[in-house]
Parts: sequence; C-alpha cells; structure tokens
Amino acid sequence: MAVKSRTADTLAYLALGVILLIFAGPIVWFILLAIRPAQTVFAIPPVLHFTPTLEAIEATFVHPGTNLPQLFNSLVVAVCAVALNLPLAFPAAYALSRFQVRGRKNIMLWYLGLLMAPPIAFLIPYFVLMSHIGLNGTYLAMVLIMQTITIPFSVWLMKSFVDDVPTELEEAARVDGAAWHTVILRITLPLVRPGLIVTSMFAFVFAWNNAAFPLVLSSQRTETLPIGTLGYFATAGVTWTYIGAAAVAAMLPPMLIFLFLDRYVVRGLTFGSIKG
Amino acid sequence: MSLRLDRPLPVSARLAWRAALLSRRRRLFPYLLIAPSVVLLLLLIAFPLFFALKNSFYFWNMQMSPMPLGFVGLGNYGMALHGPVFMVSLMNTLVLTVSGTALEVVFGLAIALLLCRELPGMSPARAILIMPTTIAPIVVGFLFRYMYQPDGGIIPWLLSVAHIPVPARGLLGSPITALPSIVLADMWEWTPFCAIIFYAALLGVPHEVIEAARLDGASAWATLRHVRLPLIARPLAFVTMLRFMQLFNTFDLVLVLTRGGPGSSTFTLGYMLYQQGLVDFNIGLASAMTWIIVLIVNIFITLFVFFVFKDAG
Amino acid sequence: MIERISRRSVLKGTGALATAAALAAPRVARAQKKSIRVLLVADPFYYALSGVAAQFTEETGIAVNIESLSYDALNARLVTSFLGGHPDADVISVDNIWLGQYLESKWVKPFNDLIKADKDINFEDFIPGVIYSINEWRGQIGTMPVAPYGMGVMYREDSIAAAGIKVPNDGSWTWDQYFDMVKKLDGQSFSGHKMSGTVVAGQQPAPIVHMYTQLAASMGARWFKHFPEAPWDFTPTIDSKENIAAITLFRDLYKNSPPESVNYNWFDAGMRFAKGDIGMFYWWTPYFYLCRKDGYMSGKTSVVADKMGIVPLPHSSHPQVISIGGWGLGLPANSIAQDEAWTFIKWATSAKTQKAMALYDKYGYQFSDFARRSLYGDPELLKIYPYLPMQLTALETGNGKISRPGVPTYTTLESIYGLNLNKVLTGALSPEECAKQTTQYWINVLKGNFMVPFRRPSYDDTLEATKALITSLA
Repeated sequence: MAVKSRTADTLAYLALGVILLIFAGPIVWFILLAIRPAQTVFAIPPVLHFTPTLEAIEATFVHPGTNLPQLFNSLVVAVCAVALNLPLAFPAAYALSRFQVRGRKNIMLWYLGLLMAPPIAFLIPYFVLMSHIGLNGTYLAMVLIMQTITIPFSVWLMKSFVDDVPTELEEAARVDGAAWHTVILRITLPLVRPGLIVTSMFAFVFAWNNAAFPLVLSSQRTETLPIGTLGYFATAGVTWTYIGAAAVAAMLPPMLIFLFLDRYVVRGLTFGSIKG
Repeated sequence: MSLRLDRPLPVSARLAWRAALLSRRRRLFPYLLIAPSVVLLLLLIAFPLFFALKNSFYFWNMQMSPMPLGFVGLGNYGMALHGPVFMVSLMNTLVLTVSGTALEVVFGLAIALLLCRELPGMSPARAILIMPTTIAPIVVGFLFRYMYQPDGGIIPWLLSVAHIPVPARGLLGSPITALPSIVLADMWEWTPFCAIIFYAALLGVPHEVIEAARLDGASAWATLRHVRLPLIARPLAFVTMLRFMQLFNTFDLVLVLTRGGPGSSTFTLGYMLYQQGLVDFNIGLASAMTWIIVLIVNIFITLFVFFVFKDAG
Repeated sequence: MIERISRRSVLKGTGALATAAALAAPRVARAQKKSIRVLLVADPFYYALSGVAAQFTEETGIAVNIESLSYDALNARLVTSFLGGHPDADVISVDNIWLGQYLESKWVKPFNDLIKADKDINFEDFIPGVIYSINEWRGQIGTMPVAPYGMGVMYREDSIAAAGIKVPNDGSWTWDQYFDMVKKLDGQSFSGHKMSGTVVAGQQPAPIVHMYTQLAASMGARWFKHFPEAPWDFTPTIDSKENIAAITLFRDLYKNSPPESVNYNWFDAGMRFAKGDIGMFYWWTPYFYLCRKDGYMSGKTSVVADKMGIVPLPHSSHPQVISIGGWGLGLPANSIAQDEAWTFIKWATSAKTQKAMALYDKYGYQFSDFARRSLYGDPELLKIYPYLPMQLTALETGNGKISRPGVPTYTTLESIYGLNLNKVLTGALSPEECAKQTTQYWINVLKGNFMVPFRRPSYDDTLEATKALITSLA
C-alpha cells in the first residue's frame, strides 16, 4: 500500500512538473526575449547562454519610452474599472443571493449571455456613442465599456461568496435592530472580503488585458499597453525584442497581483468548503 | 467556492426573511440593488444592438461615403451570407469553439484532480499555474507567434528534435495545423483557469461523501463519475458556458497569429467582423453580420439554458 | 454638379476654419507653448523622423509629439476619430490607398491652395510619378509624400555568381528569364545553406496583393476595364489571360520559395532574404536598406549586407509598369493646430529634413525613400545608398494607380483577392479558378457599392494631368 502510494505520488509530481513546464515555460521564454541580444532571437538551436541586454527595455520604457505612459494608462483604466465594478456588482450579487428576486435565473443567465456579444462588432457603435456624449478618448469611456465584461463575471463569482455566508449572522444583527445597510456593510461585507478581492483580481485582469476596446476608444494620450505592443508588429518590420519588453511589462502587473494575493485566491476560492 | 445558482436556505431563516420583507418598500429593495448594474449594462448593450439593427438595413460603406447612402432592405444580409468567407468562418468558429472548450474543460479537470492530491509543494505550483490566464490574449498571440516561427521558433525546433514532422509551410502555414495551433494557444491560456475553478469546487466536496463512496467499494473512476462530478455540476456548466462564449468571439489570437490564413482556414466570425468593420469599414455589412451572429449566439444560449441550466433557480 | 458645389462650400468652410485658426494663433502663442501631435505608421520613416524631430522644435518653437501605430490600429484610429469629429492628431501618415476615401470624405485638408501660396516648398522637386501615385486624387493634393516606395530586384551576388548566372543591371530581362534563374538557383547548396530560388510574401490579404500585383501589372494585367483614365469603368478584368498567366507564374515562383513563405508578411519575406538562403526576389524599395540589417531597427548588419545586388525589375512584352506605394503626410480637417501642422508637414517633406533622416544613424542608416528628385544625386547620400539612381528610375517610371488602384472599396477587393491568391499558393485553387471566383465576388461587391455601373463623374487621372497640376501649383 505504502509502495503503491509512493509510486502514485512520484507520478503525481512528475505530472505536475510537466504541467508547470508547459504552462510556465513559455512565460520564462518570453521574459528572456525581452533581455536577449537581437541576433539570438531566432537562433537554432535556441540560445540559453547570452549576455543580457537592457536595450529593448530602455527603448520601450526610458528613451524614447513610448510604452511608459501606456503602462500608466493601463493601470488607470484597470484600477478604475475595478473601482466602478465593485459597487455595481456586489449589491446585485447580494440581492440575487439573499432575496426571492423574480426571474432570478433569467437575470443570472442574462448577465452571462452578455459575454457572448461579439465585442468587435460593438466597437464602432461604442465609438459613436462615446462621441455623442463627448467621452471619446477618455479613460472614462474605456472604464464604462469594460463593465460589460467585468460585471457579469463579478456578479456570478460574488453571488457564490454571499451564498456561503450563513444567514443566521445577518438575522441576529437584524434582531438587534440594525438597519439593512449596517448589516450589509458591517456583517456581510467583511465576511466576503476574500471574495471581493478575488473578484477584483479577475476584474482587474479582464480590464487590463482587453485590447479591443482601447483600439478605438483610446486616444494618443490614453492608449493602453496592449495597443502599444501591437505597434511593434508593423508592416515594415517586427521588433521582436521590443515586443518582448512591452509584453513582459504588460504581463507583470497581473502576475504580481496574483502571486502576492495568492492566499486570497486560496481563501477566496475555497471559501465554499468551510461550511462543509 | 460553489457557483450554484441557489442554495436552499434553512426553512426557519426563509420564513424570517419573508417576515422582514413584508413591507412594499422592502420588497423593492433587492431590485434597487440590482438596478444600477442592469441599467448600465442594458444601456451599453442596447445602443450597439439598435445601432447595428438600424444600419444593417442601410448601405453604409465608409470607403464610399462617411454617411449612409440609402436603404437597402435585406441586401446586407444577403451579401453577408453569400460572401466569400461567412460560411467557412462559421464552420471554423464552431470547430474552434467546441474543440477548445472540450479540451480546456477536460484537461482543466484532470489538472484539478491532480491538485486535489494535496501533496507538499502543490500550493506554490498552483499559484504559478494560474499565470497564463493573467496574460492578455493579444500578448499570448505574440508569444505563440514567436514560438511557432518556422525558422527559429522553439516549438518547431522541439518537434524536430523529437523527430515529429513539422509541416514544411510551418505550423501556422499549413491548412491542417493552423487552426489546431490557434486552439493550442488558447488552451495554454485558459486551461489553468478551468483547472483552478474546478479545483476550488472539488475542495468543496465533503470528504465524508467521497469516503462513503469508497467504503461502498466504488472505484476511483466511479467515485469521480457518480459522486464528485455531479456535486460540481454547476461550476462545470458555468465554466463550459463561459469558455464557449469567449472562444466563440476569438479575434485577438487570429489577428496576431494567422490573419485568417492560409486560405480561409482560420477565418473566425470575430476576425471576419474585424475585417468588415475595422478594416473595410463597411458598417452596413458588418451590422448585418453582427445580427446574424447575435441570432446564432442566442440559439446556443437557449440550448444551454434548456439542457444545462433547466433545473436552476 | 452637386458634388462640386458641396466640395466648394466645404473648402470655404475649412478656409474659414484656417482663417479662424490663424486669427487665434497669435493669442494662443502668447498664452502657451505651441505643440502638435503626429500619428505615424511604424515604418522606417517614423524612426528617422522622430530621430530628427528635435530640430523642428529648435527651428520653429513648436513642440512635436510623435507616436507610432501599427497599420491596422492606425487606420482604425483615424477613421473612427474622423467619424466622431474629434481630432486625435494634427499630422497623420496616410497610405496611398486611403487617400481617395479621406479626401472624398473631407477628412483631410486638400493642399492645393497652400502649396500655391507657399513659394519655399520647391514643389517641382517632387517626382511626378510619386505625386501621381500616392498624393493626388481627382486633381487634389491630399498629402505630401514623406516615404514613397517603388519596387526592384534584390539578389545575393556571391550565390548568383557561384551558379554561373549573370543578372542584367539595366532592366533588359524578362520575367521568363527571371523565373529561369530562380529555378536554377533553387535547391543549390551555397556556403552551408540549401538555397531557395526566391521568396514570396504569401500572407493574405495585403502582403500577397502588394507582391503579386507588381508581377501582374508588369505582365499587362489590369484590375478594371477602364481606370485611371476617363471614363471610369470598374468592370473587373482579372480573369484576363494576362492575369491568369501572372497568377500561374506567381504560383511557380512560390514553388521555388521556402514553403513557410505562404504565411510571410512584408517583413518576413525581406528578413528571409537577409538571412542569406534566398537567391533573388523583388520587393519594395525600403528593403534595399532594411535587408542590410538582420532585424527591424536592430542596428546589426546582416550576412548579405555587402553582397546585395540591386537591379531594375524584369519586364514582359507589355509596357513596363512599376508599382508605387507608400506614405504621405496629411492634415486632418478637424485639427485645431492647422498652421503648425502645415509647417511641420512642409518641414518633414523638405529636402533638408529628408536628407537628415537619411543620415540619422541610430540603427545604421535606415531611410532612403525620398520623394525629392534632388536627393537622388546627392554625393553624400550616394555613398551610403549606392542604389539611388536605380531607385529614382523606378519611381519616375512607376504607376501606383495601375498596380493597386486606390479606388473606394479597395480594401474589400484586396481582401478577396488576397484570400484567393493565397489559396492558389496552398493548392486549394487553380489560377483559373482564382481569377473566376475573384471576379465573381468582385462584381458582387462593386455592384453592391454602386461602382458597376459607375454613374458618378470620372476624372481623367493621368500622369500628364498631374504634371500639369504640379506646374500650375509650383
């Protein structure tokens, strides 16, 4: 039995190793691209020993540093998208979890169905809409449109967290005479904090990674990083090392957030198991 | 996490809620909570849909004129359906969507089961595993284009080292391998996402239930099939639908990797819309295509609701 | 008639706008530092122009903010910003095939009056073939040429010599001879490489259409029954025997290319040649200098850098047509800094600035796409770019309006054409089927867009007319 289980464990570790190689390997390979000398980009066999160069990073972020303001723009858009997403999505999730809302199932599915709308087809109408209300090229335009992606996902995710908060706690507070908003703010909200954090993390990533909306909704001043990356993929040439540098910068913030807040991913995503 | 649509509240609690909610003002309360998000989303979705509906009946090609030139009835719809790439795009999209969703869910589940073994060192591995999902699809496109590069890319090189034949035209240049290469890139990004959600859901399955099944003499496979999977049916359905829909709109990957080629072997509906709307700027035609796609999408949503979510809520 | 009146009234409108801007300008100048925003495609001229832009600020006191975008993102951004009426930039780079659309939609300001009013432009120094091909539409100058491209043949001298082939450097060769040489070179071993005879840009839609249409135009094929001369008749003629012969030859050229070139875009094809295992190929003139480097703006010398032969294109029994394409600088009609923008456009397209761009050395000399004839004889530039005389001949005899007619619906036609040409390379279509299917879809598109039959006024768009226009403006 012990031998069998040890074999199984070894196999499990082996499988895990292969899986990590497959999913993390390409990321490492891309990070190496950003610091590679240009002549080793497509060398056969692939070159692993090289003198790292900061040339591409310097060009993209220092001089002329085209991508630095874009990094900032991406941050503004993603952070604001999260900030707007929470106050809209949490109450909806709470209501859908706690109350006998008529047509709850349909509302929930409607949220999800929104994700199926082809974003490319909506770009020009959105552009026209934003022009009408004078928001073209502003951060707000992008932040608003991003809600069509973040809210549906967030409501679904957060509803499951609210579902898992025992109603007894809220009831007890109600019996003590606390008002509704007090109950929600003081009792429920702290209990679903891991859920809020996980939801915000995903909302941040969805907004950060969206390339379609900024393509037409941003202006020269508010352009985000994925669009900047696209710029090196030009007709006359592809500056692979620049793409690498800009892309790594585009990859890092969401990755760091997920690494640093990993314990919330654990707590947040396993929240449902506590109640047993 | 349990992504169940509803969770039965204890009867006593439910009665207490009812009592608390009797007044009319309070009955409106939940709708007030839902309203802001629904109103915002309705506005943001309704405008483009009406915009597209109206313009789908007009001849409006911005290469010809900045303004619509006239009413053409269903002309745009006919042109869309009889155009050179619509049908093949639909087929490619279905192949991409169905195979991508199935593979991601199956591999995601397999990885989730592996993670469930809770061996030491699994936790940091899981933290690293989620990384591909945090990368922008357009960047994933660049990453795979870099790795697929016929002369000098690491994937053809690895395949040749392993003596696996690579098409002479390159992975993205051969009509047989181009679409699977796009599926592979998408799988790389989203399989971890499926895995983590399934993992979290599986953790929510009480140990006693699994233990009981095992004591009854059920094999590991039977336990999975008849006990664990039914208990995580909701997250499974949610992830399947989510991935299905996101894959249905695939555009970034095609734009960076193949631009629909070789021939029309990787044209997707999303890329076709991009071509019509943002390259050719044929607003009327693109609007008609949008509505055809919206109708197709609604068929799928109805199917999902009918077969998968029928007992929900 | 209606069209003319509306155009005149709009011209008046923009004139009024310019006057208003001029009136407001001194006050603005006193109030704040003047600055303009420039939106360019990330072609080599962008790197060169940003490299020397500080001189402009020094000379004029106008600050410049230059941004680059990819081709697709640029067009999407420009069209949507025009549609919304919000200026996103004061100076933009305009592809020659967008010009007609931008001018007819009144999105860019026609320069005729400005050129006439300005005596220091030296407008007659511009090559007429360039102005005709990339800057003029229906008698209006819509952009000023900043980077015009022609076509020519590049070959690897040492491999050609080893194969015992002599390439004529005066253009006295035919496409049949070119193909024979390619066939002979293909599969030969040279300096450790297995050589490919040539390389094509097979990616759809734009790259393959750019490369193929040069061959087709040179072999006598035309897109339409009667264009650019009046009266315009856009009935497709691409199922002509000349075009089918050209498609067949292009397919055969692909058979002597690396198989993966079916997916090559502009740069992939060029860089494949720079890697050294390609015998010869024809491509846009920027590759004359781009292929000397091993990557885009990498600054590193390629293996073929000092072994490149550059010669004029082969011809057929038909009159030679050389493709001209490329970029002009345009002034968005909704820009709020029209005067400063015009100052910048004049500066950027002046002989002095273009020369400075050619001498900009950050990535090794990477710009020789001049629209000004005077620069082609400049001894300092000839030392760096010795192929300039040949390039000048290509631009002077070229005709971009035949090879890729920048008519409305061009991109729609191009996407159908490119798709079917690509299918010929993959073997999914025969040249005859390609010509037939493309014609069928084109007719649908052209009829649906009221191009066939064409009822609007034609414009007799000839090189002679453009030459007369240049003389009248200069």
